[in-house]
Amino acid sequence: MNWFLFFWVVLKSVLFSTGGFGPLPSLHADFIAHGWASEKQFTEALAIGQITPGPNGLWVASLCYLVAGVPGAVLSCVALLLPPLSILIVQLVYARIADRAATQGALDGVVLVIVGFNVIVVARLFFGNGADLRLVAIAVLSAALAISRRVPSIVILAAAALVGLLFG
Amino acid sequence: MTDQEAFSVRRLFFVWAKIGFTSFGGGAVSQYLIQESFIYKRKWLGAEEYANIIAMSQIAPGINLIANAILIGKRLAGWLGILVSLVGFVLPSAAITVGISAIYAKFSSLPRVQSALATAFAAIFGISLATNWRNAGPIFASNRKRGPAALAFALAIMIGSALVYAAFSPTVLVLYLVGGLCGAFAYRHNAGKKRKD
Repeated sequence: MNWFLFFWVVLKSVLFSTGGFGPLPSLHADFIAHGWASEKQFTEALAIGQITPGPNGLWVASLCYLVAGVPGAVLSCVALLLPPLSILIVQLVYARIADRAATQGALDGVVLVIVGFNVIVVARLFFGNGADLRLVAIAVLSAALAISRRVPSIVILAAAALVGLLFG
Repeated sequence: MTDQEAFSVRRLFFVWAKIGFTSFGGGAVSQYLIQESFIYKRKWLGAEEYANIIAMSQIAPGINLIANAILIGKRLAGWLGILVSLVGFVLPSAAITVGISAIYAKFSSLPRVQSALATAFAAIFGISLATNWRNAGPIFASNRKRGPAALAFALAIMIGSALVYAAFSPTVLVLYLVGGLCGAFAYRHNAGKKRKD
């Protein structure tokens, strides 16, 4: 494995994209072309990234582990951590224009867009995997419990997984 | 003192580490726990301030939650806060992700494991709905105070961008740009009107 090339391929995919799934197209093209990963490893890594703690974007670390072991995982984490640091530059610009009404409007507008498209993305994954009445009931119940703040999220998730395991 | 814990860098590290270890369910649950830990349980951040952090985090390349952790760390404890937040949040979650990758690859074909995956994802979907609801909440509340037109416009941005995304799947950055411009225009227009009144 050429580690410089490996690191650059991962860094490039993160640097020129945004969000957890953003690096997918670029990584997919490069990893398949170099013969580093199979299609199956991509779907496995994506699923693991959604279940395990932390950002979904850590699916990249999962993939890099599957194809290149622990050194691959460590390099991918460095590649994941560097690009978001540029947020500090964004914040510097924001500090200068923070007191204008339009600035607050722009930020609120972006949040509203995020909420709208987030719900679509997750709903598509949910219904795309064949959601039946039982799964919808679990989703509604989980949302209600999360809003009520009475049950820790890890308990909600564990209970749901247990139901699937027992009645699967 | 669980309700209004006083802030310290050490506590900051442990709060992030707890999120890093326990946010099973990925980004949706991480976001939910970040809200819980920093806004609702400890009140180290305000809900509106946090909404600004979320919006800014979308502009940086890479994983938004990492940018989010950088901004929260900086806001609470400067450069040390950034370091503490990144190490506390990313190290445990990356380690667990890699560990589970090794285990999961061996059992992924079992039907019961597939079924557990489906029900767990249903819960993740539900928790993510709750998280998005809480992100949008303060914005709708402040726009309701500005009047029905402002509230309707905010709703239109959210629903409109969801519809456009569902129908045409454009690059998300374009949606951010259009949504941001709409919001900027609306708030400026509103502020101008207030000055005239």
